[in-house]
Amino acid sequence: MENEAHIDFAVIGHQDNWPSVQSIINGMRSGENEPLTVAQIKGTFSYIPPRSIFKMTAKSKTGKTVNGVYIETFIDPDELTPHFLRKNINKVNEAISVALKHKSKIIALGGFTSIVLEGNLSQFDTSSSKITTGNTLTSAYILKGVTDAILKLNKRLQDCNVLIIGATGDIGSACTHYLSSKVKGLLLNARNGRKLEAFAQQFTDTSAEIKWNTRLEELIPMADIIICVASSASIEIKDYKKQVVICDAGYPKNLDTKIEEGNGTFVFHGGMGTVNYGYDFKPDYREHFYNYPRPHIAHGCILEAVVLAFEGKYENFSSGKGNIKTESIDKIHELSVKHGVELAPFYNSKGLCEISLPKSSKG
Amino acid sequence: MGMEKLSYDLKSEEALSVLTDVFSQAITGELIGMSNFASMAGAIDDPHEKMEAVEHADSERQHAEGFMAHAEKLGLKVKVNLEGEYWGRVRNIFLSYAAKKDFIACLAIQEVMLEAFAVSMYTDVGKALDNEAGKMFLSIAEEEKEHMEHSTEFLRDELHKDKDKFLKKFEQLHNDCMTILAEFSLTSDCTDSCGVCHGNCMKSSLPIVGLDVGSMRGNALSLYARALDHIGIPGEQSIKWIANLPV
Ligand SMILES: NC(=O)C1=CN([C@@H]2O[C@H](COP(=O)(O)OP(=O)(O)OC[C@H]3O[C@@H](n4cnc5c(N)ncnc54)[C@H](OP(=O)(O)O)[C@@H]3O)[C@@H](O)[C@H]2O)C=CC1
Ligand SMILES: [Fe+2]
Ligand SMILES: [Fe+2]
Repeated sequence: MENEAHIDFAVIGHQDNWPSVQSIINGMRSGENEPLTVAQIKGTFSYIPPRSIFKMTAKSKTGKTVNGVYIETFIDPDELTPHFLRKNINKVNEAISVALKHKSKIIALGGFTSIVLEGNLSQFDTSSSKITTGNTLTSAYILKGVTDAILKLNKRLQDCNVLIIGATGDIGSACTHYLSSKVKGLLLNARNGRKLEAFAQQFTDTSAEIKWNTRLEELIPMADIIICVASSASIEIKDYKKQVVICDAGYPKNLDTKIEEGNGTFVFHGGMGTVNYGYDFKPDYREHFYNYPRPHIAHGCILEAVVLAFEGKYENFSSGKGNIKTESIDKIHELSVKHGVELAPFYNSKGLCEISLPKSSKG
Repeated sequence: MGMEKLSYDLKSEEALSVLTDVFSQAITGELIGMSNFASMAGAIDDPHEKMEAVEHADSERQHAEGFMAHAEKLGLKVKVNLEGEYWGRVRNIFLSYAAKKDFIACLAIQEVMLEAFAVSMYTDVGKALDNEAGKMFLSIAEEEKEHMEHSTEFLRDELHKDKDKFLKKFEQLHNDCMTILAEFSLTSDCTDSCGVCHGNCMKSSLPIVGLDVGSMRGNALSLYARALDHIGIPGEQSIKWIANLPV
């Protein structure tokens, strides 16, 4: 009999569109059964109770190996709206019980699952199993990504104006705090004006010049860097500077499909990391739903649990909203690099992308 | 909730016609269960298990009688047919394992697969019908739940004895039996008659009594998935089995 490996970490996730649900389900269907259409899958998918659908193994640079389990919530991609909050919270709760049954020591709440919980862990018993939103390492990769991009453009962060779309959110506020002493100007955007203003007021004493506006189009023309960490499909980026660096880290990551590239504009999918020493799945459905241009790429939120497991640092590392400290961002990134888990190469929906110097500044 | 229910006139001719088929399916299902336990009683050697099977058969008989009496009270002309397209196939699969004295297989088919569908569908019917008939469906669903729980413990022990062997076997049973139940519960109307409904397939008429076949099927598969979880079958196994069912 196969020896069952103990589980170090669990990842709770969901799909955000039907085509990816379809690829996974059809990937599970054996050759003799016809692939299903989205309409056929829609009828049953969200009835399935949360369950483990594959196991994972990650290898550290230090030689340590950790085992994980991916728990799918089976949340209906069309129901990722506040209207279905109760139902989705129930699914996340059930997924957490599945993780506890697996005796996983740390649980990462991927994508929207942390949002439905508003990071509020008080309703869970985290004495034997810790829970993290993974937003600290996600923030770290976003920040590392824009810093690397700017360096490659021979620019300095302290000369840049950074626009943060979704500034009042958990990741957005972490990035704002982090950058407040490192950039020339901060341009903050979110829809709720009162919250935005109250948030922005905290930064009036910092070295960065601070502007905020609920009207995105007022801020875009000033931005050298745009970090998008809002959950919205309808963000429009217009009248941007020619050489703007755009880090698309929210869901869905669709900004590159709306922007003309090639004029020096650089758009990449941010918040992503890669496990350099190996990241394997069993059963391996990756050929059916893995959409990244290189192997071993994953979201920062998932990798935070992997890194904490490598370290044996089982704690509710990222929890609540607006609690992410600059020191924690630096700390988790340092641990991540120690274990060979690093920023993913730059890519967007067209594949890997290179940042190139504009002609005028070359030589 | 109450508001919603008022809009269904359960005494209309169309509603009674749908209810006739709902009762016919339930009674047929109970009689299949009764016959299955009776066959098991014959096949098993262990005297305690033999007696338990007879007791189970009797409990399914009582369910069938309860449904029959209630249908009669409502003046419904129910149809019982153990040899119809789907019920007949399920029965034959069951008999093939009973003939081999395969107690585990019999339990898995009757008390996990058939019972998951029964509990879930009775619960849906019970919640939709805000009347005496509804109450009856709900109380029988409760009793069927106990049957499921009883078998779960037994099957969990079996799984622990030899996991790989158990999973292989369960997969075969799933393919044999759940495929039929999944076809039976397809959301499209049956093309050939199931042999139990009295006129055309009742599926598309279920909304007349506040039910719909899509959510009934979904809830049944959900309960089946949970039953597999309780037995200790890994999620990555059960999801693969379910993903391969006919749609
Ligand atoms: N590695 C990765 O890629 C990861 C990505 N994420 C994603 O990052 C995003 C942010 O996560 P998190 O910080 O936890 O979320 P929060 O809900 O805490 O924050 C969302 C922020 O976006 C703002 N917002 C929402 N819609 C809009 C809009 N249309 N225009 C402008 N601002 C908007 C909200 O403010 P307001 O409501 O006032 O507009 C709020 O400031 C999410 O999409 C999440 O899924 C999360 C984890 C990992
Ligand atoms: Fe029964
Ligand atoms: Fe029963």
